[in-house]
Amino acid sequence: MSRDDAARTILAIIVGVAPEVGVEFVDDDADFVDELDLDSMDFLNVVIGVSERTGIAIPERDYDAIRRFGDFVSYLVSADAPSH
Amino acid sequence: MEQRILPAALIAKATASAARDHPSFNGWWRHGQLEQAEAVHLGIITSLRDGGLVALVVGNADEKDLATLMDELRDLVSRARGNRLRSSDVSDATLSVTNLGERGVDAVHGVIHPPQVALVGFGRIRERPAVVEGTVIGRPLVTATLAADHRASDGHVGARFLATIEASLQAPEEL
Repeated sequence: MSRDDAARTILAIIVGVAPEVGVEFVDDDADFVDELDLDSMDFLNVVIGVSERTGIAIPERDYDAIRRFGDFVSYLVSADAPSH
Repeated sequence: MEQRILPAALIAKATASAARDHPSFNGWWRHGQLEQAEAVHLGIITSLRDGGLVALVVGNADEKDLATLMDELRDLVSRARGNRLRSSDVSDATLSVTNLGERGVDAVHGVIHPPQVALVGFGRIRERPAVVEGTVIGRPLVTATLAADHRASDGHVGARFLATIEASLQAPEEL
């Protein structure tokens, strides 16, 4: 999965969860809670939505590491990379 | 994927279970008297992004396990955000709960939504000093408040109601 693909996937899910978020202003440093104003339920719905869309399991222990958009993108790219 | 249970679900289940045990807080004041509801349909006050509040109703909330309640809550919030609520989603609450913790509020002094006779408010969960067996340690604590119709109940039974909620939250594995 490329970074662009990961970013598009996450943004698509965000639009579904929080339609009023201006996704055109979301950059890598955007914090889901502090800047996009998602509460814990919204964030959970985003994570679950992305997991279901991509088939990538995202355990709860990783939630703190993906609270910024760019970090979530990196997480998906890394999780989807083939292991050797 | 493993399911995460948010504090909102714990709070909802604890409140619903307590309402079952304290029926004077579960119902409506109508026609000059308390009409105790047979079921516990919990109204969960939720903010809408374009402003305003809505009470999302989880029917028979006391009978549902945490996982089911969490799923239902997620679905309701998701549909509320997307303006896809059905009339049944916002109807017939027997009491309400409001959780303003994520908005940075330590305590809520709520107001009941008539004809309901009770509203339980929760502030944010914060690590605070607590004395445990004579030692001061940090514990996650939350302030719960009760707004109630004094025609249907009084402070004494209200205190017992809150104590029941507290006991449940102290043992979440039993919810």
